[in-house]
Amino acid sequence: MSATEETIKDIIVKIVHCDREVLKPESTFQDMKADSLDMVQVLVALEDEFGIEIPDEDAQKFKNFADFVGYVEAKIAEKK
Amino acid sequence: MLKGKVALVTGGSRGIGKAIAIKLAQEGASVVVNFFRRREAAQETVQEIEKLGVSAQAIRANVGEPEKIDEMFHTIADSFGRLDILVSNAASGLPRQAMDLDPKGWAWTLDINARALLLLAQRAVKLMDDRAGKIVAISSLGSSIIWPGYAPIGISKATLEAVMRYLAIELAPRDICVNAVSASIVATDSGMFFLKAAQAGQIPALPTPPAGRLVSVEDVANVVAFLCSEAAFMIRGQTIVVDGGMSIAPFNITKQGIGD
Repeated sequence: MSATEETIKDIIVKIVHCDREVLKPESTFQDMKADSLDMVQVLVALEDEFGIEIPDEDAQKFKNFADFVGYVEAKIAEKK
Repeated sequence: MLKGKVALVTGGSRGIGKAIAIKLAQEGASVVVNFFRRREAAQETVQEIEKLGVSAQAIRANVGEPEKIDEMFHTIADSFGRLDILVSNAASGLPRQAMDLDPKGWAWTLDINARALLLLAQRAVKLMDDRAGKIVAISSLGSSIIWPGYAPIGISKATLEAVMRYLAIELAPRDICVNAVSASIVATDSGMFFLKAAQAGQIPALPTPPAGRLVSVEDVANVVAFLCSEAAFMIRGQTIVVDGGMSIAPFNITKQGIGD
């Protein structure tokens, strides 16, 4: 498990108040019981944490936790 | 009419904000298109504005965050060196009952929908110098009429209108006109969300405005442009309602009129 993935988990747990165990690669936002406000706040927190931008157009394509991690890692790699 | 002026429209990438940005550009103003989540849409709006022969710039900022507002104004000062018109339009919120609204949802909605006008105005006025600036806030009928599930936004819009009135009087001696435009359901993504919920029976059905159709984004933009004109100089601290008559006749009316 990457450091990025751990940080993303920290952020989601803090904002959504879900159990860390819920965050598996296949977990959806429904599994996390997150609403649309949670979703936006998670995106903003990720953007601030990693210095990246996640437009809604991209975020709408995320189906599960693995998509989040994959997208963020790709953006970080892009930055480097 | 607005040739040579510089306008900032928050939430200008789509919906009502986009229509306002384009309308002000049609009147000759250069426009700063603020956006938060939709960069592509903001860039499209900028391109549409540039085709009108005026300059435009997209600036990303969550108006709920004071530091981001500061950064945006630094960019505006660098790019344009002045500001004549501020349209505080950006809004966010959840469909919730008041009884289900938690502190997090409250803070999010109030910060973006109401506090932003205050913080934006404080910074905008510095760039307006002694020119007669215009500030217009976009509100909604939910500030005074109850729509099920609209509590977070309705409460924030009521606050927004109060902020607008105080600003209007404090800034009146400096020839800065501050007003609000309040609309009923407008045919935007957000408006359609509530209409679809009504059609699905999740909230009570909404009447068609007596004027016979939904309020369009252009209907709102036209009134904003008027408030930004010198013709509106003596209108201060008012909320102009654009609702096709719905707020004073909240029921369906046939083509023939009432009672048919």
